[in-house]
Amino acid sequence: MTDVLEPAIAVPFDAISEPADAVPAPPAAEVRLVTAAREGDRSAFADLYRRYVRMVHGVLLARLPRAEVDDLVQDVFLTAMHRIGSLREAAAFPGWLASIARNRAIDFLRRRRVETTELVDEPAAPGGDTSEALAILAEVAALPEAYRETLVLRLVEGLSGAEIAAQTGLTPASVRVNLHRGMKMLRARLEKETPR
Amino acid sequence: MSDYLWDRRGPADPEIARLERVLGRLRTEPPMPDWNRVAPPASVRHFSPAYLAAAAALVIACGASLWLARGTAAPSWAVVRVTGQPVVGEEQVVEAGRLPVGAWLQTDPASRASVAIADIGRLDVDPGTRLQLLGTREGNHRVALQRGTVHALIWAPPGEFVVETEASTAIDLGCAYTLTVAPGGNGMIEVSMGWVGFEHGGREAFIPAGARCATRPGVGPGTPYYADIGEPMRQAIDQLDFAALDPAARRRALGAILADARPKDAMTLWHLLARVPAEDRDPVFDHLARLAPPPASVTREGIRAGNRAMRDAWWDTLGLGTSRWWRIWERSWR
Repeated sequence: MTDVLEPAIAVPFDAISEPADAVPAPPAAEVRLVTAAREGDRSAFADLYRRYVRMVHGVLLARLPRAEVDDLVQDVFLTAMHRIGSLREAAAFPGWLASIARNRAIDFLRRRRVETTELVDEPAAPGGDTSEALAILAEVAALPEAYRETLVLRLVEGLSGAEIAAQTGLTPASVRVNLHRGMKMLRARLEKETPR
Repeated sequence: MSDYLWDRRGPADPEIARLERVLGRLRTEPPMPDWNRVAPPASVRHFSPAYLAAAAALVIACGASLWLARGTAAPSWAVVRVTGQPVVGEEQVVEAGRLPVGAWLQTDPASRASVAIADIGRLDVDPGTRLQLLGTREGNHRVALQRGTVHALIWAPPGEFVVETEASTAIDLGCAYTLTVAPGGNGMIEVSMGWVGFEHGGREAFIPAGARCATRPGVGPGTPYYADIGEPMRQAIDQLDFAALDPAARRRALGAILADARPKDAMTLWHLLARVPAEDRDPVFDHLARLAPPPASVTREGIRAGNRAMRDAWWDTLGLGTSRWWRIWERSWR
């Protein structure tokens, strides 16, 4: 956590249809998939990959240089496949997978720091298709972790707030707060970068 | 009420729509492996040379001692001598050896050792340490630290490595920490990466990277705090956690903590919500609300009554990740 927690802002809680502190339970079909994958069904695991690959990609992209993310997505799912037998509660799969992705990102940064003593992000290629996107991503990367992750999942991966909650194990209310506070901070940073 | 940021319903916010369009260019979907053909090996792509050297030593030690111990089936961990003469049971570890379940590893003031925590991590053991391997199996690895200092580095998913001390149980929630137990049983944990949960008798602490937490026999974990807080605040936390204070002294200590709390110390204040008696929770509520406004589902009355779901919902807004996943892993220490 950093020193940039925001003062109160108006958050439209009245738009929340479910109880504000309820973590959405995964659909029964998804629980069945996790149960099957836990028992060694690789096609069930492939289905889980398709459902969660954007979430894992976003969690990693919120923390790591983009060039590293695709490989580490594979690492996260390999770890999950290897460990899924130890997951006692199938409904906990989304939060469990998200925490593996977060830990993998932290582990990557720790090892990279040991090897290079300095973390150097990829430069934004001037004029390239993604240069503007990478410049904005750099501003997102300066936000507190929870805001950063939620915004990447929403703006890069295209997940809705409800999908972010379902796939990360956060409550919808927390996602809503993170989205609004994070967006407010991001707007402020972008305005500072682009003086009128 | 429509909310474009939430689900793209309602009138589009032009700035958000632009960000979606631009940032959406960074979205990729890595090709899916053929899971039927993939065996999940441990990746070594990003390991440093120093790490690889240590890992190689542990693998060699593992093989050699397995050969020496052939015929015995007791699970054990590989141990490598770093300096001096560490001892496992009655045997000196000359270069490498095994730490079987139930055995003690001891280092004298001139010894250090490194232990492979099965295939999930590494435990570096400082001089003057005594620890016992309590059990090791897939998904659950436990040691008891009687005294001394260990540095744990875990690369498994959370919840698989547990250290028991006289004063608390430490459960790894991802990555790296240092745990010290003094001869009298007082402990201190300092987390450098990821998270550690600390628990004793239902009293719990969740300690993020950069934070510390003390623990005392018979009391359990104190209140975690970031290592860069000022000395007056640290002393006040120590008093509040472990001293026998009358109500007036307790409120003075609480006041000193609140007076010095910075925005990032919301983590400490959140823990105080469950630490202080109900009659002292209002000032903590007010101060924490100024640092990090609670979500709408959290009420003063609920916090005063000790509602854990409300505390967890508030935690989720602190920018420290979700409480839900460590609530899942805390069952490991029950």
